[in-house]
Amino acid sequence: MTIQFKPDETFRDDFRYSNSDAAVLRFPFPFPEDAYMYSVNIEPHVPGGATPAFDNPFDVDEHYVAECRERAQVLEQDPSRCKVLPHMMAAQWDTLELLMESLATSYPAHFTLTREGTSWTWENRPLGIRDSFTFGDASTLPLPPFEYITRQAQGDFTLQDQRDDNLFIDAGMVTTQADWSLDFDVGMSFHQWHGPVPLAHQKGVFDRALKFLLRLQYGAPVRRLNWTMTVNPRLDTSPENYPQWGPDRTTLTAENIGQKLHLRVELQSLFRLPRSNAILFGIRCYLCSIEDLARVELWGKRLHRVLRDLHPEIADYKGTTRFREMAVAYLAPFDDGAELPAGTAPRQSTLPPAALPVER
Amino acid sequence: MLISDIKSRPVYERLSLDGAGRRHLVLSDAPRPLGEVIDGTDGAGAPLGYWIVAATSAVDAQPQAEAAPGNAAPVERRAFRAASHLLDRLSHRLAQETVGLRLYAIGEEGFIWDVARMAREAGLEPSECFTAHAGSLRRKVFCVHCKTVTSGVTTSLAVCEGCGAHLVVRDHFSRTHAAFMGVQADAEAPGELPAVEEVFP
Repeated sequence: MTIQFKPDETFRDDFRYSNSDAAVLRFPFPFPEDAYMYSVNIEPHVPGGATPAFDNPFDVDEHYVAECRERAQVLEQDPSRCKVLPHMMAAQWDTLELLMESLATSYPAHFTLTREGTSWTWENRPLGIRDSFTFGDASTLPLPPFEYITRQAQGDFTLQDQRDDNLFIDAGMVTTQADWSLDFDVGMSFHQWHGPVPLAHQKGVFDRALKFLLRLQYGAPVRRLNWTMTVNPRLDTSPENYPQWGPDRTTLTAENIGQKLHLRVELQSLFRLPRSNAILFGIRCYLCSIEDLARVELWGKRLHRVLRDLHPEIADYKGTTRFREMAVAYLAPFDDGAELPAGTAPRQSTLPPAALPVER
Repeated sequence: MLISDIKSRPVYERLSLDGAGRRHLVLSDAPRPLGEVIDGTDGAGAPLGYWIVAATSAVDAQPQAEAAPGNAAPVERRAFRAASHLLDRLSHRLAQETVGLRLYAIGEEGFIWDVARMAREAGLEPSECFTAHAGSLRRKVFCVHCKTVTSGVTTSLAVCEGCGAHLVVRDHFSRTHAAFMGVQADAEAPGELPAVEEVFP
């Protein structure tokens, strides 16, 4: 399959970003029910799901080229968005192998990996990269292996080292994050880096998730969805640059909220790595305006109900306090209150030009 | 908003001598009687050092050996002029150490986690370095925007010594930075600041 990339897109300043109809329909909508509460919600990361976003281990879409350029821009400003502790070299090579193998298998029109023993050649045609190197010898790559390959993938990545019956966030490439800092969190244990999340600790969510992940098996990756809301299609909503993006939240009006407010979904995947026994955590970020989401009837209605009934502490933690009521008011005309089927599949194959208000 | 139930904040237990240690070094950021800061020193057979911060230039850090009662090994005491003075001497000590040292630090959080970081960098395992809190709750705050650490913060809002931002002090603690996270309080609407409260006396 050949993907039509949109290399001129931007995720800052003029925000030249949009989803094609096909991209809207493949959005990994995160709400199978009308109400949202924290849960472990982990499932096997096997091909296939509610939309084509779940068809491959690492999803590549029309925003790939532009997202890689955005990552390079962030790293130019702030190289500490990529950090790898010294004992993680085996996990770096594990990551490079997994990503190259997966991308070449999933998208042969765009990526090719040739292996002869430890002599490897990697071709990334969308980015115009072709490098031959010796697997296991970092001096033969232009960048350390983890940074090299994660600069060529969409979404953030962290590496969790496993020791003392715990996981430690000992490496990461984090440029498209929902308000957490790798530079601050690097080296933390599982419960420490999840410290700021409200409610979930008391519900035992992290105890159960950690127990589950410590037993994660090689060859049996898992995934879950997480979500928040972002004003403008901005990938870099880091705490580091909060002074730059925070003011966006005060720019919403009843007229522009449909276009400016985006549902931000993270397709999170977890892979046990073979040599290092570390876990690779992929955090693939998708952005879709609520105006576009409402063109899918089921999604517009459900998003309205989830936001309307959101627990106040979660609403606050996800940074929606300033605009939640306005978003609910925007979506309300599209929701007739009818009972909705469980699940997240769009249940339509084409999109109307715009969502239409419904009779209540 | 101060998020008060964040789980990265350390929980401390009273210090107790680890019987597996071959040498013990206890560090305190203020003069405190040894028996008040750690249990189990009475019967200790292994050499024990006790270093304190006296906070005066009148001391010179010379070791003072002190006979211990019964079979216990003597305690070697040193008094330092400031925490920086103690940490500087500690870095030399750690560079010479071999397996078997147990390190114990008691004091304000900035001090004890500076010690823990030096221990980690010197190759000590987490199970070989123990920390306990004593004294003021004031915090070191790491500005997530400019990476400057502002010390001695006792209030819910602090002005960053680096970039001047008014930082909300989150309860999120990094052992690596030995500091709490500070995030600009009025980033969304500049000038819109919550009331300042004294929360870390």
